[in-house]
Amino acid sequence: MRSDRHEKLHPHDDAVQRHGLIGKRIPLIDAQRKSTGQELYTDDLRPADCLVGKILRSPHSHAKIVSIDTRAAEAMPGVHAVLTGKEAPNSFGVLPVSQDETALAVDKVIFIGDGVAAVAADDEETALAALRLIRVEYEPLRAFLDFADSLEEVPEELRIHKKTVDGTNLHKQVRQEFGDVDGEFDRALWKKRMSFRFPGVQHAFTEPLITIAHYDADDRMTVWSAQQVPHYLHRALAKVLEMPMHKIRVIRKAVGGGFGGKSDPFPHEMVAALLSRKCRKPVRILFDREEVFYNNHGRHPSKIDVGLAIGKDKKVAALDIDALIDGGAWGSFGVVTTYYNGVLANGPYRVDNFRYRGRRIYSNRPASGAMRGHGAVNTRFAYEVLLDEAAFDLGLDPAQFRIDNALPAYTKTINEFRITTNGIVECIERACAMAGWKDKYGKMPFGRGIGIAGGFYISGSALPIHWDGIPQSTVHLKADFDGGITIHSLAAEIGQGSDTMLAQISADVLGVPIDQCRVYSDSTDTAPIDIGSYSSRVTFMAGNAVRRAAEEMRRLVIGGAADLTGYPPEVFVLEDAHAINATNREVRVPFVEALRRAMKDRGALQTTGCYSGPPPMGGQHKGAAAGLSPTYSFQAFVVELEVDLLTGKPKVHEVWAAHDCGRALNPLAVEAQIEGCVHMGLGQALCESFDYNKGNVENPNFLDYRMLSSTETPDIHAILVETYDPEGPFGAKECGEGPLLPALPAVANALHDAIGIRFYEMPITADKIWRALQKQKKAAAGSATQGAAK
Amino acid sequence: MILPPFELHQPTTVDEAIELATQLRKDGVAFDWMAGGTDVLPNYKNRLNARDHVIALGRVDELTSIGKNSIGALARIEDVARNSRVQSDWPTIAKAASLISSPPLRNLGTVGGNLLLDTRCYYFNQSEFWRDSKGYCLKADGDVCLVVPQKETCYATYSGDLAPILLVLDVELEFRGSNGARRVPLRSFFEYDGIRRFEKAPDELLVRVFVPSTDKALRTDYLKLRARDTIEYPVMGVAMGLRTKGGTVADLRVAVTGSEAVPLYYGDLGLGGATVDEATADAVQAALLDRITCYRNVPFPPGYRKAMGGEFGRKLFLDLSGKA
Repeated sequence: MRSDRHEKLHPHDDAVQRHGLIGKRIPLIDAQRKSTGQELYTDDLRPADCLVGKILRSPHSHAKIVSIDTRAAEAMPGVHAVLTGKEAPNSFGVLPVSQDETALAVDKVIFIGDGVAAVAADDEETALAALRLIRVEYEPLRAFLDFADSLEEVPEELRIHKKTVDGTNLHKQVRQEFGDVDGEFDRALWKKRMSFRFPGVQHAFTEPLITIAHYDADDRMTVWSAQQVPHYLHRALAKVLEMPMHKIRVIRKAVGGGFGGKSDPFPHEMVAALLSRKCRKPVRILFDREEVFYNNHGRHPSKIDVGLAIGKDKKVAALDIDALIDGGAWGSFGVVTTYYNGVLANGPYRVDNFRYRGRRIYSNRPASGAMRGHGAVNTRFAYEVLLDEAAFDLGLDPAQFRIDNALPAYTKTINEFRITTNGIVECIERACAMAGWKDKYGKMPFGRGIGIAGGFYISGSALPIHWDGIPQSTVHLKADFDGGITIHSLAAEIGQGSDTMLAQISADVLGVPIDQCRVYSDSTDTAPIDIGSYSSRVTFMAGNAVRRAAEEMRRLVIGGAADLTGYPPEVFVLEDAHAINATNREVRVPFVEALRRAMKDRGALQTTGCYSGPPPMGGQHKGAAAGLSPTYSFQAFVVELEVDLLTGKPKVHEVWAAHDCGRALNPLAVEAQIEGCVHMGLGQALCESFDYNKGNVENPNFLDYRMLSSTETPDIHAILVETYDPEGPFGAKECGEGPLLPALPAVANALHDAIGIRFYEMPITADKIWRALQKQKKAAAGSATQGAAK
Repeated sequence: MILPPFELHQPTTVDEAIELATQLRKDGVAFDWMAGGTDVLPNYKNRLNARDHVIALGRVDELTSIGKNSIGALARIEDVARNSRVQSDWPTIAKAASLISSPPLRNLGTVGGNLLLDTRCYYFNQSEFWRDSKGYCLKADGDVCLVVPQKETCYATYSGDLAPILLVLDVELEFRGSNGARRVPLRSFFEYDGIRRFEKAPDELLVRVFVPSTDKALRTDYLKLRARDTIEYPVMGVAMGLRTKGGTVADLRVAVTGSEAVPLYYGDLGLGGATVDEATADAVQAALLDRITCYRNVPFPPGYRKAMGGEFGRKLFLDLSGKA
């Protein structure tokens, strides 16, 4: 069966070698609006009589709320509503198993920045003045600010949430073991155990979080919010507001970046809605950057111990991972993250003996959650650095070593991931060829180096987080008298190009120009459910759904052409805005005429396509579903850099980034995703760090939270590897997250090639490199003196 | 984040500005001068010592000229960096200016503003909410320094890029106030701590920087440490002037920014007359390591910043003496 499916979709097949829009470099359909400033973002909306909502935040890391006195704020002229946590105690959270957030703190605050009360007022000045009038009496509790503290058993009142492991502040613990890890370590040719440290990093999207809510005269709630997943917000609002979902409408306007940071339902979204319901006026909450940092669910700060054993055959024999991750105040996506930190190390190399322990703590700090490369990034760094060490110690070329260890296509991993198409070897080979790897590795002067790393990532989660049998993606298509194709979907356009993908596939299948398609993906009232833009699922899942809807539409339109011409439907193809008889191409019916004929006696044509998930797969072990995906992306990067030996400052010159995206539906968009991933990954590797000063975030601004600027961004060569996935739409797989993974370890491995020093802690800043160089110099001087003494 | 309310005054001449300031001072009203606003306004948004009145100098265009021996205090930093006379006569001023922040901020910021720039510190440059939560520091609303606890001295870091080379060139500052004009050598202007920083009456306005003519044989340069090659303040910066004669040090001038609360002029580090060789370069490094103190209040660990001060001094000496 395996080989059958593989044969079915071959690069030369008609399904792949198309003459339409698939594979064409198409500028994003919203690019003109955005680049000319015409696009409407949530903050551009100004409903009449809109109030400003502001949230009073906790100055304590962990404290009981003894009392809140809001009377003075309520009495203040210009204040329309004041809200406290007790008024909306229903909890919510993105995962059904972690419903631990509330709109505002109910009994206690659990981090500096936690919301305590909120006001809606005529303007920002009044709202801020009103917040100052709210008196909150706190009784401070012990703050839990590091791993060891949170693993301690503590009395109930010191537990950050009710549901924890064994009376500690441990949120989740998972274990998996396959094969004989200890035995392989005993028998290993090479082995090493190392502890890796990662501070938190943030998505740092440009558009701050913003929500406008309006409870209107019809008792309907409309919430406009910068969201990656309007559907989850819809669910959470219904729960917190105790309103039926059909009376709530969530609208997503253009979103200025997400990267995972807008994929949870958030407290301020609940607060805006609650305030609006209280005063029956629209309420707008716009965060400043500092509030974004408090509210955001960034990548988990982590301490990851990894053991790697290489067998006598010079292949990976065993991998032993122990990940301890700091979830901060809330559950968020954390249960998934806890699994991903281990299970996503089962590729792109074959591992037959695998052990994983994952633990996620709660702490009194802003929550951690899903961020681009969710859960896989830090462990990937550790694994790829150790692989590099093994190759170096064993005298093997690190690129060839990776090729020799690569998983084949169409196989199963030890933890029972179903691997289908797999371009890892081609990724390594092409990145190395372009980079001139063989002429550079180990051959450049001291201070200049080249490094390689691989990666693999899910292309959507096989199983949805809500197990209610509803398809993960549904797309509605409507074709009406004007010939326009209207596409309704709730896949969220967050700058990644999902609207373009939907239009492109529809236009391709229907043989019409892309501007004949219009995408409405903004409202839960009109769009069918799609579980949104996260988990690298949209192109794969919504892409399949829209393809099916378009194919059904094609059938109906061709039916119209057949009726008009008397030829059987089978002979028609849709091309060039015509239905064309493929056996006699003189017979051409304009698309609009065929469409109008098909509309006879039934009106506008409407079709539905959906994607529910791949066939059942995966093992029976606990956590087997985590990391299961209908297909996986693969990638390999080569990084070349130079270290300023005076200051230790690293400068990445070039990155060759090869990525197996299955099929580049739109190479322009795929390249942009790869470039963005490289920039973000290098940022975490070189300078980004969410720092704490005890419970305070030390750098909640874009001056001190350092992303790479244009001056540090290297030349990026995106290399598109196409493996034509049989289940992806036209062969496509994800391209928005996987290409981040190799960036970090490739930098560290290049640094080793440059200066002979390994780094096990992110970010690798100039001061750390300089210190390590000093140590190296001293050691060299020491051994030289010793040598001389001999 | 929104600005706190304040009354904005926008004089168009220096006389008008001084008159305004004199009147406000007489009325006992606290005010701030604002040139480019790139430092004052972010601080105001953070509610850092915001005052009720601001005299904005953006409409005063008489102090922007760059002359044969002076630079107007309101000259834009980008204009200074690109000015051909500055580039040929004082190349290190042009270089230091070009290393300040980023193009948009260089187009707003002024020479005077950069010179009199307020100090920076993790405990100071934060929002009101942050500081309320952490406890207010000495420099704004608090009683003790949070960098060096229990100290009643402010240890914030001076972060101007122009001061070191201006110290090396021994410039004079001209101020104008209600009592007329006065000139002060820059080398004796900065003193005290991160709060007082220097002696200047509130209604005095820095109008011009006078650059004395120097021996053409004095070679100068400036090295700046920063986490990224744009936007960043210096977290260590060393400027040096060196003239050698017959293989010995005839004139050595070293100044440092990004360490303590004020820029520091270290003169010749006791190395006048020393032989121009690697050993003296090492001595420059050692002397700087002896003198530089950094605190943990801006990016990079203090030990590293201090070490870079030494490394920069050594490199500058070798480069400028042609021994590199």
